[in-house]
Parts: sequence; C-alpha cells; structure tokens
Amino acid sequence: MAEWILTIVAAYLLVGGLFAIAFVSAGVSRVDHAAKGAPLGFRLLILPGAAAMWPLMLLRWIRSDG
Amino acid sequence: MSVGYKAVQWTHSKKVYDVVIVAGVLLYLATFIIVGKIAWRGDRAISDEILLIRALGTCAIVMLHIVLAIGPLARFFPRLSPLLYNRRHLGVATFLVAAAHGTIVLGYYHGFGRLNPFVSLLTHDADFGVASSLPFQLFGAMALVILFIMAATSHDFWLRNLSARTWKSIHMMVYACYVLVIAHVMFGALQAERSSLYPALLAAGVIGVTALHVAAGLRERRIDKQPWAAIDQDKKGAWIDLGDCRDIPNSRARTVCVDGRPRIAVFRNGDDLCAVQSVCAHQGGPLAEGKIIDGCITCPWHGWQYRPEDGRSPPPFEERISTHRIRSRDGRLELNALPEPPGTAVPPARLPEEMT
Repeated sequence: MAEWILTIVAAYLLVGGLFAIAFVSAGVSRVDHAAKGAPLGFRLLILPGAAAMWPLMLLRWIRSDG
Repeated sequence: MSVGYKAVQWTHSKKVYDVVIVAGVLLYLATFIIVGKIAWRGDRAISDEILLIRALGTCAIVMLHIVLAIGPLARFFPRLSPLLYNRRHLGVATFLVAAAHGTIVLGYYHGFGRLNPFVSLLTHDADFGVASSLPFQLFGAMALVILFIMAATSHDFWLRNLSARTWKSIHMMVYACYVLVIAHVMFGALQAERSSLYPALLAAGVIGVTALHVAAGLRERRIDKQPWAAIDQDKKGAWIDLGDCRDIPNSRARTVCVDGRPRIAVFRNGDDLCAVQSVCAHQGGPLAEGKIIDGCITCPWHGWQYRPEDGRSPPPFEERISTHRIRSRDGRLELNALPEPPGTAVPPARLPEEMT
C-alpha cells in the first residue's frame, strides 16, 4: 500500500517537474502576459509551485490565447 | 501590484524583515543547542543529530505560532501591521526550517534500514489504537506538505493565476497544518517527555492562538452587526446616515457594513470624505484598517494603493476597486450602500461645518 502511494506521488512529481521546466521557460508568459520578459529569479521561484500545481497550469496553458 | 513580475519586489522594510527572520532563527537555534547541551548531559545525553532535530522542530512550531498570531494581533494593534505586510516571507522561512527538521528526521531515523526511507516513514508507528503508537511522523509529514504547497504558491503570480478565492482556500490550509503539527508533537515528542514544561508550553500556544482568533472574530462580528438605518432611497440604492464623522482621524477610515453586505471604508482626507469597498483587490485585505499615504488609500496587508476619488491604483498599476457615492446634506453625511462599478470616479463629500 505504502509503495503504491509513493509510486503515484513520485509519478505525479516527476511529470510535474518536467512540466514545470517547460512552463517556466515558455508557458508562463502565455498564461500571464505580465510574465513576459520576467527575470530568471521569478521563474525559479514559481518552479516548485508549477510542479505541484501542474494539472491546473497545464489546463491554463492549453486554454491560453498564445 | 501587477505590472511585471520580479522574484521579490525588494523594499527597505522587506530587507529588514528578512534579516530579522534569519537572525531570529539563527539565534533561536544557537540558544536551543547551547541550552540543550547543558540540560541534556550524563544519563540524559542526546546525539547532536537529535539535538538539531529538536531545535529545528521547536523553532518551526514557534514560527508557526507567530505566523498565526500576527493576523489577529494586527487587528487589535494597528502598529503591528508592518509585521503582516511580509508575512509570506515568514511563512516560507517556517517551511524551510520545518523541511530541514523533516529531512534530518528522514535520514537519521529511516535512512539506514533496508526499506525505502519514505516507505519506512509511511509504515512506521502505524497503530491507531494506542496513543503512543499513532503515526505522529505521518502527521508531521502531512503538515510539511501543506507548508510546501503554501510556500510554493506564495508569489503574487499564483494569487493572480489561481484566482483569489482558490489561493485563499489553499492558504487557509495553514489551520489544518497547525492541527497536524499539534498532533505530531502530542503523539510524538510529548509521549516520551516526563517534564510538564513542554506540554504546558504547547497548551499555552494553542490557547493563545485560539483566544486571539476568537477575540478577533468577535470584534469583526460587532463591526458587522452595527445598525445603519436607511434614511433615503433612490434608483441607485439606499442612503444611510453616517452620523458624526469627527471621530474619524485624518487619513484613516470608519468601517461600515450594511445588511451583511461587503464592508465599506469611509476615509477622511482632511475635511473631505470618500468611500470605497473595504476589500483590497490583492488578497482581500481590510482597506478600512489602512490609511491614506501619499494621497492614496494604502492596504495594511501588503501596501497596495488606490486613489480615494476613483478607487484606481496610481499608474502604471491597473487595479480597481468599487467606490460608493457619499454626500453632505442638511449638516449630515450620507453614504449610498450600493457600490459603483470598480474605478468609477465619485466626488468627495465635504465634512459639514457642524462636524469640523
């Protein structure tokens, strides 16, 4: 049981980590225009949140007008 | 306020705030370790790792109590409001200290067995029938996850993109985190503790935080229950008599709540009065508890500003809040309870001669 829970959490975070890198690199400025040209420090700061909230942010990215 | 994002919008006060947090944490840890080395000697001696685990754990608990106490305290003592401005920095620091505690625990107690340390953590002490065998470490781990989610979403970017309501809901989880932390300590460290000092300190903390929140809640309820009678009605809503406004200090506000609707802040700016919604567009901070600085209504929580005459943030910022019509008639000050659309310019009312 414990192994299953950890496997699911690890998979969620692995996908989230990969998504977060793409999101802070390209997606963030599409989701929120105020993030265009934002500095690296800002992008690194929102990286953990993007990894944790990736399903929500993925939806926002898909729905963004580009 | 939103124009372009930065990692941290540093100001002098934020730097001072963070220096005080770091210095306070280091001072606490050093004091705990020195006192611990003296107190736990001979038969009661503990390893350096356990001493550090205790120092970091208690430090995180103290910080969590301060985080929770700042809000209600600032309502009773407006001078403490600057502590509230950058509370998120204290919250992130609390997560970092708690994460250090959790990391050392994971390595020290679960890192040397055959099981994966995380599997060991999840399956350790799992007997719900006996208080001393409750999975207290799991409670701590769950509290740490909540602290992480709050810290990771603390930037204004998340407030704007998760919506204020969702963001607030996420950050209200701090109370669930607090309950988990108390359970973590009660069913963990305190089970092996013979001294009554630690249970007494924990009880004092819980009672203190609870009492502060109850007292602040009762105060807010009193404000909302104040009777404001409608004296006139037009197409755009009911006008209410504001009574004598001499007691509103210059640059400060009076809170008005009509029929349980969102609060209105009536600000005095010299001999002029203006009214805006009392809810800040940023995090819902109580604007009526702020003051007019540099000609702008300034939120007591994070310093977001709005012009009193139209509820708009000064350029280049673009936030807007609702305004309310206010008028001086027959020696009385009257307020229209119906909000105007956000950013609508409304002329101020002059304080009647009888009230100057």
